[in-house]
Amino acid sequence: MTGVIQGGWEFVIAAYTITGIALVVYGISLIVRLKELNKHD
Amino acid sequence: MNRTSNAPYAVLALGVALLLFGSFHGLAVAPAETYMGEVQRIMYVHVPTAWNWMLAVLWAFACAVAFLFTSNMKWDSRMEAGLEVGVLLAFLLCCQGSIWAKPTWGVWWDWDPRLTSVAVLLAASLGIMALRSFVDDPMRRAVWSAVATIIASVDLPIVYYSVKWWNSLHQEQSTPQTVDSVYHLPLRVNAFGVLFVMIGFIWLRTRVAALKLRQETAIPHTYEEAGELA
Repeated sequence: MTGVIQGGWEFVIAAYTITGIALVVYGISLIVRLKELNKHD
Repeated sequence: MNRTSNAPYAVLALGVALLLFGSFHGLAVAPAETYMGEVQRIMYVHVPTAWNWMLAVLWAFACAVAFLFTSNMKWDSRMEAGLEVGVLLAFLLCCQGSIWAKPTWGVWWDWDPRLTSVAVLLAASLGIMALRSFVDDPMRRAVWSAVATIIASVDLPIVYYSVKWWNSLHQEQSTPQTVDSVYHLPLRVNAFGVLFVMIGFIWLRTRVAALKLRQETAIPHTYEEAGELA
């Protein structure tokens, strides 16, 4: 036991992937909602 | 300001560009931390998300106060936007923190003061959004949700100071003063990246709220300027 965490790239990739996906999906949802509302405005 | 201007998209694009550069630097250029190793690289998205989530909550709080003082519906649209983007950032904060906690603490979640206070504020924000969807009268909805937002915001200082007030698993705030200088660049660049993305999102979401309100009330011109970030 060295007290040093070995590896861990899978956790890093998971954190960045979830962040990227959430931001992209939310951004797209905003643009879709705006287009829909503008169509009826 | 023009309701159809492309300014929020430009702000969003700047934020994405900064996030891509900062994340590349954090993942490929910055060295691994001595004890946490590669896992510490989660800090470059987790900490900027935390800082900007707090700003989103502060924004919603300020808009709630401004609405109660002015009764101007544009502040209600802005508050709605701040709440929703705050929920997005709080959700991401919990996911990133959970993923970082597993290899470092050995558990995905712990009810320590920092995590609990963030979860409480996330739940409160979701509750306020649910409340808004149940109330049909726009003015009543705006007043109730403004009051609820102000009450929920009391939790924000508890979130911030929780790591100072109580001994807990969560470390103290990571800032350029508390981390080594080799980690500053990706941390700062991503902080501005998330900031610009958040501003772009709030700006666009405010337009959504203002348009919905205008169509809901169906009184042309009454809320013509509602929701525009002056």
